[in-house]
Amino acid sequence: MHESIIRKPLVTGTPDMHTITEDVCRPLENPPSKAWWIGFSLAFAGFVLWLVSFGYTTWVGLGVWGLNKTVGWAWDITNFVWWVGIGHAGTLISAVLLLFRQNWRNSINRSAEAMTIFAVICAATYIIAHMGRPWLAYWAFPLPNQFGSLWVNFNSPLIWDVFAISTYFSVSCLFWFIGLLPDIATVRDRATGTRKQVYSFLSLGWTSSARSWIRFETVSLVLSGLSTPLVLSVHTIVSFDFATSVIPGWHTTIFPPYFVAGAIFSGFAMVQTLLLVARKVLKLEDYITIYHIELMNIVILVTGSIVGVAYLTELFMAWYSGVEYEQYAFLNRVSGPYWWAYWTMMTCNVISPQMMWVKKLRTSIIFTFIISIVVNIGMWFERFVIIVTSLHRDYLPSSWAMFYPTKVDVSLFIGSIGLFFTLFLLFIRFLPSVAMAEVKLLLKHSSEEAKSKLKKHNHVAEPTVEGGKVIIATTATIKKGESNEQ
Amino acid sequence: MDSNNKKYWKGLEELNPTPAFEALQKREFAEDLPIEEILSGKAVESTVMPRRDFLKSLGFSVGAVALAACNTTPVTKAVPYLIKPEEITPGIPNYYTSASKDGYSILVKTREGRPIKIEGNPNCPVAHGGVDAAGQASVIDLYDSTKLQGPLLKGNESSWEEVDEFVKKELAKVSASGKKVVILSSTINSPSTNAVIADFIKAYPTAKQVTYEPVSYSGIINANKNSFDKAVLPSYKFENAEVIVSFGADFLGTWISPVEFTRAYVSNRNAKKLKKTKKMSRHIQFETELSLTGSNADVRIPVKPSQNGLAILGLYNNIAKLAGAQTFSASTPEFAGNIISKTANELWANKGKSLVVAGSNDVSVQILVNAINELLGNYGSTIDLDNVSLQNKGNDAEMIELVNEMNRGEVGAIFIYGVNPSYSYPKAADFSAAMKKVSLKVSFNERADETSKLADVIAPDHHFLEAWNDAEPKLGTFIIAQPTINHIYDTRAAQKGLLVWANNPIEYVDYIKNVWNTTIFPQVGVAALQDSWDNALRAGFVQAAPKTAQQYTHARELTQSVVSTILAGSKVDAGKLELTVYKHTNIGDGRGANNPLLQENPDPVSKVTWDNYIAIAPATAKEMGINEGDVLEVASTTYSTTLPVLIQPGQALGTASIALGYGRTDAGKCGNGVGKNAYPFVSIVNGTMQNYSSVTVKPNGDSYELAQTQTHHSIEGRDIVRETTLAEYAKNPAAGSQSHHEIANVAQRNAKGEEERYKEGNVKLFNIWEDKEKKGHHWGMAIDLNACTGCGSCIVSCSIENNVAVVGRDEVRRRREMHWLRIDRYYAEVEKGTEGYVEGAVEVIHQPMLCQHCDHAPCETVCPVLATMHSSEGLNQMAYNRCFGTRYCANNCPYKVRRFNWFNYADNEDFDYYMNNPMGKLVLNPDVTVRTRGVMEKCSMCVQRIQAGKLKAKMENRQLVDGDIKTACQQSCPANAIVFGDINDPASEVSKLLKNERTFYVLEELNVQPGIGYLTMVRNKEKAAHGHGEHAESHS
Repeated sequence: MHESIIRKPLVTGTPDMHTITEDVCRPLENPPSKAWWIGFSLAFAGFVLWLVSFGYTTWVGLGVWGLNKTVGWAWDITNFVWWVGIGHAGTLISAVLLLFRQNWRNSINRSAEAMTIFAVICAATYIIAHMGRPWLAYWAFPLPNQFGSLWVNFNSPLIWDVFAISTYFSVSCLFWFIGLLPDIATVRDRATGTRKQVYSFLSLGWTSSARSWIRFETVSLVLSGLSTPLVLSVHTIVSFDFATSVIPGWHTTIFPPYFVAGAIFSGFAMVQTLLLVARKVLKLEDYITIYHIELMNIVILVTGSIVGVAYLTELFMAWYSGVEYEQYAFLNRVSGPYWWAYWTMMTCNVISPQMMWVKKLRTSIIFTFIISIVVNIGMWFERFVIIVTSLHRDYLPSSWAMFYPTKVDVSLFIGSIGLFFTLFLLFIRFLPSVAMAEVKLLLKHSSEEAKSKLKKHNHVAEPTVEGGKVIIATTATIKKGESNEQ
Repeated sequence: MDSNNKKYWKGLEELNPTPAFEALQKREFAEDLPIEEILSGKAVESTVMPRRDFLKSLGFSVGAVALAACNTTPVTKAVPYLIKPEEITPGIPNYYTSASKDGYSILVKTREGRPIKIEGNPNCPVAHGGVDAAGQASVIDLYDSTKLQGPLLKGNESSWEEVDEFVKKELAKVSASGKKVVILSSTINSPSTNAVIADFIKAYPTAKQVTYEPVSYSGIINANKNSFDKAVLPSYKFENAEVIVSFGADFLGTWISPVEFTRAYVSNRNAKKLKKTKKMSRHIQFETELSLTGSNADVRIPVKPSQNGLAILGLYNNIAKLAGAQTFSASTPEFAGNIISKTANELWANKGKSLVVAGSNDVSVQILVNAINELLGNYGSTIDLDNVSLQNKGNDAEMIELVNEMNRGEVGAIFIYGVNPSYSYPKAADFSAAMKKVSLKVSFNERADETSKLADVIAPDHHFLEAWNDAEPKLGTFIIAQPTINHIYDTRAAQKGLLVWANNPIEYVDYIKNVWNTTIFPQVGVAALQDSWDNALRAGFVQAAPKTAQQYTHARELTQSVVSTILAGSKVDAGKLELTVYKHTNIGDGRGANNPLLQENPDPVSKVTWDNYIAIAPATAKEMGINEGDVLEVASTTYSTTLPVLIQPGQALGTASIALGYGRTDAGKCGNGVGKNAYPFVSIVNGTMQNYSSVTVKPNGDSYELAQTQTHHSIEGRDIVRETTLAEYAKNPAAGSQSHHEIANVAQRNAKGEEERYKEGNVKLFNIWEDKEKKGHHWGMAIDLNACTGCGSCIVSCSIENNVAVVGRDEVRRRREMHWLRIDRYYAEVEKGTEGYVEGAVEVIHQPMLCQHCDHAPCETVCPVLATMHSSEGLNQMAYNRCFGTRYCANNCPYKVRRFNWFNYADNEDFDYYMNNPMGKLVLNPDVTVRTRGVMEKCSMCVQRIQAGKLKAKMENRQLVDGDIKTACQQSCPANAIVFGDINDPASEVSKLLKNERTFYVLEELNVQPGIGYLTMVRNKEKAAHGHGEHAESHS
């Protein structure tokens, strides 16, 4: 397969197959750097904070949070939706972009998928934590039981959530793990002692035979096919929690597309945050290039604009509906006691991504990093605004109340970020954070070296589509020896 | 000192020390400690346990633990009755008649011998089945484990024998010295108790009874003596009054007999009356603080206390002019244009069918009020001076004199019975000091309260549910109180004590029987037989044929001195704020301070719990630069205290108000230190205690958050409560509730199919629900907003019936009160140019809000585990066991009536009210689960009562009859504003009410199909502020 030389290279520098392996395996095989330790200590401290605040909540009761009779969900579900949303980018990158043959995904999909899984874990902790009696959480599953014909309520969006999230989590885990197999095998082949045993076990006896590769490719394709609808469905279903209710500000048909766009928006921002650090710390600049960053910034720009349009549509619809409760709900968002949250959301989510129109900015690493953080702050506030400002002043003014978070609310949130980074840092320490096999695939035609060679030899780019057939790019085209260093 | 030279020695080594010995002596340990060894780790190594030893000890420990665990846990068995009392069947409640603290006849529900609920006796001739919040809550005082558990003699636990011996001995001494013996009591209208006291006085001729009430009606009693030579408190007949004018009398909340007055007042304004006559009474209130009564008035004029007397004088002059009687020249104020003269005309037009009352305790003011009522011919129709009220006999003059007597050392013994003057007397310190000059001080109070702790002897009286007693709240109406449980602690009836000390050791119950046989039965015309006694116990009361109320004419003319006293009373201290103090609707005069249910029951108007505050009008606060939550230093000439500010719409401008009954120091753990004492602001003027003074206020820089159950006070122009005026109602009975009828029309056309729908525009009700056929019973409720006064009795009744937890001030601040039923209260400013407009005037509306048991309940669809679902009888039910607490249902409830258990409220020391101690838990209703933490709860429409009613009908092999089942809120409601019943039964009261033109449903446009209908409020005034779709000013 060849690629036009006009396209930007996806791998820069002059790495060969072996250097890729070396580069990617370096963090796994050497003692971690100081930066890793600092990061891990911070993250682990956050994780301990999470354990303490989670335990305290479970032990004493939900009264330790700032919720009240009017605002029954606040930071808990805000964080839940936020984390689930963040996860979406991973699936989009690994599944949708695979189906669309966007090769640039190859060097970032591994980390993005890991991020998805960890984000979903963080989100799941909030499902448990927000329950009054979390020890009965298994009741949410339609399990056969001794309680007679007691079943779950299939009308409840929360049950849809249970299915959506659990499916999402299992498919994501599977996809990620399958994708990891050839790379784990590579690590296995280089390892000795206990490490070798562990990686041997994890590699499920990968032999790198052509047959393995073919099956690997088939499974990847099937799983990406399975995951693709999940990208759309999971956040759609999460949005149903709100959209199917009667609360003004929640009861909105625009929610599904608006939530999915928002999820991808925040997910890409999170991928940016993570990779910009990881590429520097793990010295992977050749594989995660400025071009990757720019492409992701474009995704952020597009989804950010969709989100912005959705915000404006909501305001218009509130006015146009003529429903006084609806109108008040939005007036209250814009100018009520939580106006600052609304305007933080607007600034972070609508205004800041628009700067990505400027090429100089979207190719600036520092600017990208700042915006990626800003976007996630904005998306957190979006959920906060939707949940808290809708609830705190709904139909009967007698029940209007304010929500103030407690220390436990804050600790649990910071703690969940700690949990996320603890998992992520362990991941980059123990598993290859870039999909070696897939990057190697790019080497022949999409790397800078390959392209300059082509230029030098004055080769004309050949079309990628031959005879009307789409060639399925398989890693199986790489010869066995190349990939496994034998 | 010689002895210092002497030397003892322990051994020869010490006598003849060697250097080695001396060195050794300086060391703490004779042998070297193996510190080095330990630190180097050798010792540690040596302690390593060999593998075999480890396994042995492991085996032993596991075995021992397993054996220990095999021991069966102690089984606590509920011992069944060995000999079952005939009347007690476990699981079936018994009801006994008794008398409430206020002397109303009540029914006490007992379960397995424990009183657990107080209900009004529907046949009670005074209260007609209503019970106020304090009456409802008083049942938990019975189980208060902090009360005295036996008599105290000089502060030590003692026995009744010792106490009797001591008191008799001391009484003999006092008697011999010829000093006075005083029984200082609250109002006693019990014929038997009064007879006991009379016997006591006979035994000790220097004895006398002084009746002290912190809030008395001395002014009215003395005025009646002056006007008619009858020193009595009349009975007021609000049901007969077409025009009611009240000057600061909170007759629906605290004035004399609020439960009785509420029933009477509402009977002239409720759905029945409106439907029948298209008329209702008109109520005009002039007052300073926004009272419960004022909040229900058709026209309410905020008046400064200094103008109160003048306003009455103005009214008098206007009426006297119409009647051609004597007028007095004085410049009197007018309000809201010409409301006084307009009121005078209205009153005059309703001669004999009107009523003017005043809350003032000033004799001159009350004489003037008497004169007005006399001119209007109200005696005999709305005021009854023959069947008088005995509900309050407080005599200010006697009390003031008593303190003087005590100070002069004339009093040798004092018996404190049900009063607490060291707290509630305006000059409490003087009283306490005077107490020291009394040699024998005995208290019958339940605990060492502010006064009792000064006493030599505390001989705790029974709780009223443990005691035999009787009451005569109205002349000729006798209520009997029978004990519903044996006394829990070692207490003794106060009457028994007095009898013993008067050397008449008869049991009090026998004494009562004697009194009834000899005096009461003859009075009511019943033979003094055992049968009569049994019948009286069963009915709860007996009644003599009421006398015909007579017309009265004045015994003496109005004199200029009355007017000059009023004029003198209306002088204002320049630069000061006029302050009124008032009895609190829940806490009363302070007697309810230790009751957590009352403390948590929100004030009906301000919705503040667990505190009192200084109420100031918004405009006044703005002028003075005071903000909500500021703490003010409030100082009169003699007393100062600090209180948080509540910005109270409707408060008269330039005034402040503080509730009495707070700031107790020895009330018990719940009441101590709650709020601040306002009694010292009561002033003694012209021989009576009056509820106003002038104060200076200034912020002290602190701020304080009051715990309010409602913090947003405007309706925001929403169509949630509906209101119309009487004139509009007369024209169109559906006035105000039009939108309900519009929706109902659409639904009807919808039901008839497409064609019909297109006739009047294609409005379609979209319904994605599978509507089930409503077979059998379908429970519902109707709430008449014109009857509901917002008193809050239902909230307490509901809490006791359903074991609803008390959560305390901090949790209320966090907006987590657990009340299943709340009363929403909204303010609206009176529109400029409409009737009754003065600056700062507001109108108030109360709306009880509870689970609406929607047929399309939004909560039910969202519960993931089906913990809340619909019953076949239209109830929205909670299965607590199934709930795991996602709170989605509460979020999706448009009425926000669901309550979440944020903590374990029972058995939790952080919620030290009554559910955390074995004694307090006895009051819990065994038919209702005590909810654990993490579970949602809400109004069940007293499903346990529904079940009990159905079972009873089944047992009796009959159909369920309308009225068989009453919810707790309905039962307690003094106004009968809540009607529960079967909507499927067209003959039921609730069905009829729901078909009333005034009916509307809250948020019915959401098509949640609520099961509770509300009846539009009708105000008898020219224009209502809460009109349909009108926007009101917000106070958030």
